[in-house]
Order: sequence, then C-alpha cells, then structure tokens
Amino acid sequence: MALLTGAGIVVKLVLILLGLFSVVSWAIILFKFFQVHRANGESERFMDFFWKSKRFDAIASQVDRFANSPLTVLFNEGYGELKKVVETDGKSEGSALSTDLGGIENVSRALRRATNSEITRLEKYLTFLATTGSTSPFIGLFGTVWGIMTAFEGIGKTGSASLAVVAPGIAEALIATAIGLVAAIPAVMAYNHFQHKIRVLINEMDSFSTEFLNIVQRNISGK
Amino acid sequence: MVTRQSKADALFGSSLIASTVIHLAVFLLLVWYGRLFPAQINLQETYYVDVVNLPVAAPRAGSPVQRGHAAEAPPPPAPTSRMTMPALTQPKSASKPAQPQKAVEKSKPAAESSAEFAERMAKLERKAESQQEEATFERLRRKVSATGSGRSGMPGAGGSEAGSDYSAYIQSRLKDAFRETISYTSKSPEVVIQLQIGSDGRISRKKIERSSGDRAFELATLRAIDMASEKFTPPPNHKVFEGVFVFRPQGISNSKP
Repeated sequence: MALLTGAGIVVKLVLILLGLFSVVSWAIILFKFFQVHRANGESERFMDFFWKSKRFDAIASQVDRFANSPLTVLFNEGYGELKKVVETDGKSEGSALSTDLGGIENVSRALRRATNSEITRLEKYLTFLATTGSTSPFIGLFGTVWGIMTAFEGIGKTGSASLAVVAPGIAEALIATAIGLVAAIPAVMAYNHFQHKIRVLINEMDSFSTEFLNIVQRNISGK
Repeated sequence: MVTRQSKADALFGSSLIASTVIHLAVFLLLVWYGRLFPAQINLQETYYVDVVNLPVAAPRAGSPVQRGHAAEAPPPPAPTSRMTMPALTQPKSASKPAQPQKAVEKSKPAAESSAEFAERMAKLERKAESQQEEATFERLRRKVSATGSGRSGMPGAGGSEAGSDYSAYIQSRLKDAFRETISYTSKSPEVVIQLQIGSDGRISRKKIERSSGDRAFELATLRAIDMASEKFTPPPNHKVFEGVFVFRPQGISNSKP
C-alpha cells in the first residue's frame, strides 16, 4: 500500500491507466466468454435441429430459440433471400434455369454478407485485448523508468547511495511494470483463446453456408 | 438485429461492472493482506542504530567505565520522592548514638521531667535529620561538579567514551555519515572544520579552518556534516557546542578548540 501512495504523480497516473486497461480488458474477457460460449452451444443445438427438420419454414418458425448463434443469422438471411427470390420467380415466370442460378447467387451473396457481419460482431472489442496485451507492459515500463529516474534524482540530492535510500524508490517504480504485466498477460491469453474459438465459429459458418446452398440447389433442381 | 445489438451492449455493460467489482475486490484483498503482513521496508530507521552510540539514549547505563564510576559514588537519590525516605529511616540509626547520651542523662540524679526529655530527643532527631540531608546534598553536589564541570558532557555521564561526551557523540555521527560520502583525489587529504552547534541541535556555523586543498574531499566532508546534522540531538544543558574536527580518509579526530 505504501508502494502505491509513495509513488510520484507520473507513476500514479501510469498505475491508474493500467488499472483502467485491466478493468476494461477483463470486462471484454467476461463478455466474450459468455458470447462465444453461448454462440457455440446454441450453434450445436441449432445444427441438430436443422438436420432433424425437413422444411425451412418449420426451422424459420423455431429459429428464435437460438438467437445467439451466428448460424441462425445466416439461416435467417439466406431464408429471407430465398423467399424473395421465390416470390419474384413466381411473379416474373421467366426462364427457369437463369432465375434459379441467379437465385442461388443471390442467396450465396446474402449468406456471405451475413457471415461477414457475424465475424465483425464476434471480433468486436477483441482488438482492445490485443492492444492491452501489447502496450501495457510498455506503459508499465515507462512508469518504472520514470520512477527510477525520480528515485535517482532523490539519491543525487541526498548524496547517499546506501541501499536504504535506493531500495524504496526502485520498489515503487517496479510496481508499475508488475501491474503492466498483470494487465497484459490475461489479455494476451484471452485474445489467443478467443481468436481460436472465433476461427472455429467462422469455419462452422462457412460450412453451414455451403450446406444451405447445397440444399437450396438440390431443391431447385429437383423441382 | 437491433434488439440483439442492445442485448449485447447490456451484456457488455454488466461484464464491465463485474470486472470493476472483481478488480476492487482483488485490490481490497491485497490491501487487507498488506495490513495483516506489512512489508518491512523501514530500513532507514534501523540504519543509524549502532552499538557505539546506544549509550546516548541512556548515558548512565553506558560503558563499564561509567558503571565503575557509578559504583564509586552512590546513586543520587531523586530529589522529590526519595528525599523524605532517609529522613524516615534515619532516626533509628540516629537513636543509637543518642543511646549513651540517654544513659548519661538517666544517670543524672536530677528529676528531669519527661517533657524535657522528649524535647531533647526531638532536637537530636532534627539535628540528625539535617545532617543526613546535608550529606545527601553534598553527595549530589559532588556528583554534579564531577560531571558538569569543565567540558560539556551528556548529563549524568562522566566517562570519555563515545556517547558519554557530546563532542564524541558528534564525532561518531560524523564518522557514520562520512563513511557514505567519502571521496578524495589527492594522496592524503586533510580538512579541519570548526563546528558550532546551537542549543536547538542545528549547526549554526561551520568553517573550514585548514584544508589540504583537495576539493572533492572538502565537498565530501561538508556533505557528511549536512547528512549527520539531520539527526543531531541538541547539546546538553542548552549550551552552544563548539568543536574542531579533523577529517582524514582514515577517520575523524576531534581536536579540542
């Protein structure tokens, strides 16, 4: 405690900044943990439900149960686009083949767009973790260097270089690096963990997109 | 999509609050732990405690020389409380020399009344009492003159040991400080410094009387004096202390002014 109160103003500011970094990065860690956990769980259950169901409209009526899964967003977008295509198809009565291919293109584009927006949503705030992980040790180091500078100034003034004079100033200074590392280590670990989890989710979304398109194509060609 | 976004924001807000609470809890835990097991970084306090100067705090319980001195002269009774004690015990011993007198009186055939006898006894007792008091005062006076005369020493201390004498005390403090600041560029530098310490324990004057011309050594001595003067106790009896100290790399010697 004396280490914190005894430090100079710059070191204190650095400590406060690092504390804020730590608070926000832990908030992001908790938030991402729940978000990714739910997304994973609900995606799994949605896929089970998806393969068990025979009809898209039956799935669409139940899809709200899995609101946190990115796959449901993909399904909603794809299904909405498919409905629109089918509606216009029914109205225009043009050449079937070109409309079908165009319809699949449309659905594919809609799925790609939804995938991108979901990736953005999942990766939101993650950059802050990366920033914390890479910069907070440096911020802490800055505080330490500054603290040691002031400690040495004090030593120069008193003219004594005994351990009793040198040690407290350096101990005060070193706490900045310690807190920088305390903020950075969980941020880096969480960043890597969530990157991996999100990559898995992106893969799932890609495979779901292709499955969805396959089903649509099978149905249209089998019409 | 909008509801989902707002839900996510709410989730983020609650995790921010949770994170803040966790951080506060960890901080308080650390503070509490620090209270329970405080870090021992008070190095500065222990730094100046050395065996040589311990008698300064209680000069009478000092070196063997002082103890021998104390054995020669009986410890002076405290003027307020103990002064009455010998007066109470003394009449018993005083009554012994009074006994023969009493016998002589008794042998006198004259019919001395008991009232007269009591008066005589009281007079004798008073005399013995005043003698005892006189002796105590004399002892005290001798004690004071033995310690307080001539040089200015710590009260109650008569030896020439470090700590029993104010100039030795100053010298020892200077030596401690000098050990930290010492630096010199010439072969055998020497600086003679006159110091005057006011009754408040602060240096009122310091003057380089003689110097071998080594600038670094002079600076080192002055810095040592500055450092040491932070912890000087005031000279005894509110006197102004004056002393001349010879600084050499081998040590500090005190040459009497």
